[in-house]
Amino acid sequence: MKAFWKLLVANIKQFVRERAALFWTFAFPVFFILIFGAVFSGSEDVTFSVGLVVEDNSPAAQSLSAVLEQVPPFEIHPGERDTELKALEKGDRRAVIIVPSNFGEAIARGNKGEIDIYYDPTQTMSAQILLPIIHRVLDEFDRMLGQTPSMIQLNERTLQIRNLRAIDYLTPGILAMAIMQLGLFAAIPLVVERQNRVLKRLGATPLRRSTMIASVVVFRLLVSLGQAALIIVVARLVFHVPMLGNWLYLAGMIILGALTFLAMGYMLSAFAKNEDAATPLVMAIQFPMMFLSGIFFSVEMMPGFMRPIMNAMPLTYLGDSLRQIMVHSSALHPYLINIGVLGGWFLVSIIVAVRFFRWE
Amino acid sequence: MDVAIEVTNLHKTYGDIKAVNNISFTVAQGEIFGMLGPNGAGKTTTMEIVEGLRTADAGSVTVLGMNVKQHPREVKANIGVQLQTTALYPRLTVSEVLDLFGSFFPKSLPVPELIELVGLEDSRNKLCINLSGGQQQRLSVALSLVNDPQILFLDEPTSGLDPQARHNIWDVIKLGHERGKTVFLTTHYMEEAERLCERVAIIDHGEIIATDQPERLVEQHFQEEAIEFELDQSVALDELRQLAGATNALIENGRVTVYSNSVPTTISALLELARQRNIELTDLYVRRATLEDVFLKLTGRRIRE
Repeated sequence: MKAFWKLLVANIKQFVRERAALFWTFAFPVFFILIFGAVFSGSEDVTFSVGLVVEDNSPAAQSLSAVLEQVPPFEIHPGERDTELKALEKGDRRAVIIVPSNFGEAIARGNKGEIDIYYDPTQTMSAQILLPIIHRVLDEFDRMLGQTPSMIQLNERTLQIRNLRAIDYLTPGILAMAIMQLGLFAAIPLVVERQNRVLKRLGATPLRRSTMIASVVVFRLLVSLGQAALIIVVARLVFHVPMLGNWLYLAGMIILGALTFLAMGYMLSAFAKNEDAATPLVMAIQFPMMFLSGIFFSVEMMPGFMRPIMNAMPLTYLGDSLRQIMVHSSALHPYLINIGVLGGWFLVSIIVAVRFFRWE
Repeated sequence: MDVAIEVTNLHKTYGDIKAVNNISFTVAQGEIFGMLGPNGAGKTTTMEIVEGLRTADAGSVTVLGMNVKQHPREVKANIGVQLQTTALYPRLTVSEVLDLFGSFFPKSLPVPELIELVGLEDSRNKLCINLSGGQQQRLSVALSLVNDPQILFLDEPTSGLDPQARHNIWDVIKLGHERGKTVFLTTHYMEEAERLCERVAIIDHGEIIATDQPERLVEQHFQEEAIEFELDQSVALDELRQLAGATNALIENGRVTVYSNSVPTTISALLELARQRNIELTDLYVRRATLEDVFLKLTGRRIRE
């Protein structure tokens, strides 16, 4: 156990002191997010297109809609409930405000008039900017009616919009990519350590191989989790990419992904004689995976003949799971399938790695 | 005397190559035992089988009374191994690496003591990547001493070092020897074998061709001394062998070695021959026969080619 901790600390020290590698491990995914984010969110508009459905003919409802139309950042689209909600789903509206048919009647009776607002909670911009504006407008309206306490109750209804912003789609993908790279590239230091006879030198001590492997795996998992945290924080601070799901599920999925790709990395290291052979081998696996796993482009953009390739790649399933957890995207596959495929790749890789790995 | 290492009828084949061909030897406790031979002779393979890093095809190895195959971890806990390795952990400091390796063993020496032992006091906080070749070699020797082992295995411990660094390593080895450690080393340096080892096994093509104390090996094979020189034109080897007092002669890369029972007689005969033929002799000197000569005599070639 002492050896395990000392090896873990040694790995961390080595990692932290290797400035270039440290920089690339953490800065590379952040660059990705910043660049993609800047490219795809340049079109973010300052006006909010808001659907307004007024189903009531009472004077109160009419004057409320008149007030809403005056609000400067709102671009009001009057319409029917069905069409406006559909527009919201398609991403053409940021929110839809519905004034139901009993609104005026309720107010006339001295009850609270209820209005509904639909919006997408994953779009934090809408939630954080739009809702306060509407609240202000309603307060104003209350004052116009000269009534205290407030006559209007706002019911917030959330609606998942299928059409995620590009950056919402990309962030979990970049997270998946980072996990994959960290795992696959673990093959290279291992090959170097074999080449430099470090593994052999360790083999000349009573240190158990299992202890050695465990400490390296735990080290890699820690780096993966740290990297994931950084990606999530940057995406959230800069581009307001939400994390909607359960943090424990997220951590679990990151660990499963990291273990799977680490196992694949070790499998690759079994087939590379030296560093010069290992690097292109890892590249040859990671590049196609990066671009054919739908982590950058949504699946619909892929030509049909590529689907089978995509469906074979573990990154597809990790990306899908992370997207589902983080931004509640529509699922390509149910969780169980995702976990099953990743677990399958993990097992196959481990078996092949154990069978073919050479310690010297 | 107690036996530290006992190797019996060891065989190891890689493809068609018999890397180790029926090797047997014993190393007594407290002895410095050297295996001398050219690169590829099977020294490292033999040593690594004894250390438990490789398995033999046939034969048995007993270290400190334990069968290596059956008790690899117990053996490893009591031996110190130095491999021909570059920086192990380039971005750990000397102290950190020693501390790390100490944790692999049931018991270990304190880091400051190890650092002092190999004279790395000024570099204790240096990253391994910044160590010079000699310092790295000293660190690798220190690593082999981490568990205060009973037997020290050193594979080419001074390979590629300058004479100063080589002498430093020798001092460390002698120090270990004084502390009662058994030392088993491989080398292709004659001087190292002659000056350091109490007993030497000469190995070539996977076989041991002679084992004894260095001076006895020389005595056994040579009562004569060696006269070395260079010639500016070729002379038949037989002519040199028939010089008065000469027992044998060899020519290699234009350099001639004549072995002689009576150096003055042979030299005057040689000078006479040179004068008659108008041959110029250069860089002539006389020396005692060495292990190199023994190797040459037994194998027909020099140890480094």
